[in-house]
Amino acid sequence: MTRFSRSGLVAGAAALTLVLSACGGNGDGDGGGAAEGGEPIPIGIIADLTGATGDVGKPYNEGMLAYIDYVNGQGGINGRQIDAKSNDYAYEVPRAEELYNQYVNDGVVAIQGWGTGDTEALSQSVANDELPFMSASYAEPLTNPEDAPYNFVVASTYSDQMRVALNWINEDSGGNAEVAVFHHDSPFGQAPVADGEAWISEKGYDLGYQAYAMPGGQANYVGLLSQAQSQGAKYIVIQNVAPPAAQVAKDIEAQGLDMTIVCLNWCANELMISLAGEEAAEGHVLVQPIAPMTTNQPGHDKIREYLEEKGIDESSIGVSWVAGWATMDVMAQGIAAALENGDELTGPAIKEALETMGAIDVGGLIGGGSVEFSTDSHRGSTNTGIYRAEGGQMVEIEASVAP
Amino acid sequence: MAATATGIHHRSYASELRLRATRAEYVRLALLAVLLVVVPFVMDNYWLSIINTIFIAVIGAVGLNILVGYTGQISLGQGGFLAVGAYASVILSDRIGLPTPLSIALAVALTAVVGTFFGLPGLRLKGLYLAIATLASQQIIEFFIRRDYGGFLTEGRGYINVDRLEVGPFKIGARSVFEFQWYWILAVIAVLAVICARNLFRTGLGRSFMAVRDQDIAAEAIGVNLTRAKLTAFAVSSSFVGLAGALTAHYSEVVTWEKFTLEVSILYLAMIIVGGLGSVAGAVYGAVFMTLLPVLIRNVANAASGSVPFLADQLPAIQNAAFGAIIIAFLIFEPRGLDRIWQRMKDYFRVWPFRY
Amino acid sequence: MSTFLNLLVYGLADGAILALAALGFVLIYKATGVINFAQGEFLLVGAYMFYTAFVVLRLPMVLAVVFGVVVATLIGIVIERLILRPMVGESPISIIMVTIGLSMLLRALVQMFYGTSPMSQPPLLPRTSISFAGATIPLNRLLVVLIAAVVLTLFTQFFRRSRHGIAMRAVADDQQAAMTMGISVRRIFAMAWALAAVSALIAGVLLGDISAVDQNLASFGLLVFPVVILGGLDSVPGTIVGGLVMGLLSQFVSGYLDPGLATVIPYIVLVLILLVRPYGIFGETRIERV
Repeated sequence: MTRFSRSGLVAGAAALTLVLSACGGNGDGDGGGAAEGGEPIPIGIIADLTGATGDVGKPYNEGMLAYIDYVNGQGGINGRQIDAKSNDYAYEVPRAEELYNQYVNDGVVAIQGWGTGDTEALSQSVANDELPFMSASYAEPLTNPEDAPYNFVVASTYSDQMRVALNWINEDSGGNAEVAVFHHDSPFGQAPVADGEAWISEKGYDLGYQAYAMPGGQANYVGLLSQAQSQGAKYIVIQNVAPPAAQVAKDIEAQGLDMTIVCLNWCANELMISLAGEEAAEGHVLVQPIAPMTTNQPGHDKIREYLEEKGIDESSIGVSWVAGWATMDVMAQGIAAALENGDELTGPAIKEALETMGAIDVGGLIGGGSVEFSTDSHRGSTNTGIYRAEGGQMVEIEASVAP
Repeated sequence: MAATATGIHHRSYASELRLRATRAEYVRLALLAVLLVVVPFVMDNYWLSIINTIFIAVIGAVGLNILVGYTGQISLGQGGFLAVGAYASVILSDRIGLPTPLSIALAVALTAVVGTFFGLPGLRLKGLYLAIATLASQQIIEFFIRRDYGGFLTEGRGYINVDRLEVGPFKIGARSVFEFQWYWILAVIAVLAVICARNLFRTGLGRSFMAVRDQDIAAEAIGVNLTRAKLTAFAVSSSFVGLAGALTAHYSEVVTWEKFTLEVSILYLAMIIVGGLGSVAGAVYGAVFMTLLPVLIRNVANAASGSVPFLADQLPAIQNAAFGAIIIAFLIFEPRGLDRIWQRMKDYFRVWPFRY
Repeated sequence: MSTFLNLLVYGLADGAILALAALGFVLIYKATGVINFAQGEFLLVGAYMFYTAFVVLRLPMVLAVVFGVVVATLIGIVIERLILRPMVGESPISIIMVTIGLSMLLRALVQMFYGTSPMSQPPLLPRTSISFAGATIPLNRLLVVLIAAVVLTLFTQFFRRSRHGIAMRAVADDQQAAMTMGISVRRIFAMAWALAAVSALIAGVLLGDISAVDQNLASFGLLVFPVVILGGLDSVPGTIVGGLVMGLLSQFVSGYLDPGLATVIPYIVLVLILLVRPYGIFGETRIERV
């Protein structure tokens, strides 16, 4: 073989490869697709199953998929099955972006996200691609349609939860107390801090207020507790996930301190109680917009029906599972409304439906009431429930409180 | 059969200055160019987005290779430098209103300055100590962007939404052409970066970097200004990395602290190790390989999910495990990386039917 | 006063565990010259192995400890043989990268088999507290300091008195000379890795007991670097001092200053030490020959 024909062969092979890939590669739909009659409804789900927040992300995803399974079993939405594409991104934001690109390529009509990381990273993209986005990140800026037109926050925001917490503290303490706020050392953690301080001056409460950043990966939070103690704090509001909050509870017990923890939704769950242990968690207050199974809201009946059918033990279902179920419920109802309004199911159509359909009934699972969006506000609910950890369980103090 | 470059002897300046030495190399280069031009027309948006990510990774990897591969200075701080480039470019272009190319250029310059500053320990330290110092710089930078003192970086929001790239009258379009248009911008910049890095090592400055790597005390003895060489290496490398950071910010249109963690630093190091230290082509191969690897694993796991559901369930863990295993395997079996493997393939054909 | 005492005890406990973890790191470095970026993952694997023995297999505590030690030794030897032996003579960056790759692999394997939720393990050390000078001091922290002190003393005596310990010091000093004296350098390498894994196991189990058995244990491992830089890379007493100092520093920062700084203060100290006295408090200055 001469040099000439060898390079010719190589060139020919390369050209052939290109031609073949041209036949195969092109034409896979692009973005914000429209799904029509009888066809399945594609929804992209980005979940954290094995990452940093996987201990609550997994049940959330399971609850969401359970809802989809339930609805599909009942015939789907207006006769159309939901085609859920669910993938794990392990709280690594670049992976979430990659999954998102893939879903857009697959022509999904809506996205269910998970946490602050992915929600923030994708809020601009979903606005550009016109895909409604719901997640478990209840940050205040996402409720403003001018900044985040396609984000919908179904439950009360961290700031609203903080306001409810402060109201409760004001009442419980008799109007005069010191409050320490322990928060995750990141934008997620800082989100409600300033709003809390503003609320105190707005309502004229006589509450001392001091925020402390929780360093990550610590084996104890005694340093923060001693600073809170010198502040004279009797209440500690925690804006963080369950494991650090549980550690704080354990440290309070070990130190024999007389302080009450008021957890905002991310640590206000059964996981926090089980990690801290029944004794250490006893008496602490949990601010949680999603209704646990023990509160027997009307919305729990459907869940029970599904659990019985599948033979799943109800006691294994925590608040995060219910949150996933309820959030998907909101989106499904929005899709149903969009289908009834017009004929083409697109992202903008779902957005419009969600904004104009009025109160969405979720059986009291979210904030003890209904969820409602409008063109000026994507804040679905402002109410939240207050619970106390007693005997290893979340016991209701107040069902549905507005800030 | 001079299909590959071997025993090259130049007899004139013109021949030495040429881009490539043999005809076969020119042919391969032409094929690559054709491929680059044809690809955006045949690939769908998803794959184009992956290719765009690869281009940005190439720029970063080439930059890191200048520092680690050619100058022998170990650095674990790339995540931090990417962050500096990203935040600087976005704040300058969106908040202060400079035109985007200018803001990117300024961000590159700023990252070069920051990189030089963190390279100062490199003047006194070597090897492991420098690695630890850069690890510390990564953690410190990460702390600052996460804490966002005074809300300065993100205006209290915690993340920055970046406006769509706009250069004069030209603005990147909607989703359907977004990836396509970005492809051209990134391809051109990546190619320029690679050529720039290649040419750097034909100059005296580049050779002084290599002298510092090989025997720095001896290099000083023959007149290489160690301080200048090391600091310039840090500056040049950081500017490439800053460019990658700025481009990533404008391309993905969001800047959050979670994208600039220690894992990212390690990812870039892995790219150049797997690709081959001390070789620009190696950095490119490594960037391509490491970016495609998780995608490939996901496709394999999804395809096999019927028979082996374990793979799909534990996908991120498997991706990470494969990542670690590949690094170890390459270092044990082929420490000079993909570049060397390619060389060996070429050599095999060159001396065939002989074995060596 | 009571706050100070409290923070002192908690800081010493954290510092003692750090010292244990860093001890393994220094062992490996002294004997083999390898920088082990996977030390944190050794803590992780050690804690999970103990969990498996104690909770999953329901062995009594002593047997579980023995099980853990045996598994840790095996892991150390296997890693040395399979991964580090082929890397002898390679450049420092390659060795660093191989241990980084190892750390990712180990972490991913633990995640695969145990998930990311914290494992619930019955407390090994008593959870009660005692009152002293106005401070409420938890008993488990005091016991941690005690146990760590005992283990560290054992190790120090091992190096000073036993044949194998002296052999390790010989290899750390000059490999060629040690070989001429008939010391099996390969066996010493394996022993160094095994001992490092064991000390990491003890540190991991203690840490898992006072906080939680989850993936955070591995992140603790990154703090080893400031410790060894402060103490000197090749000095065992320096490591102990460095560990205690770092533990106390983090604790006092979280108690008296902005708590969020507690994560980053070790690294700031590290940078300062590198600028002022790179070889650490107790380390030896390296003489480089061209």
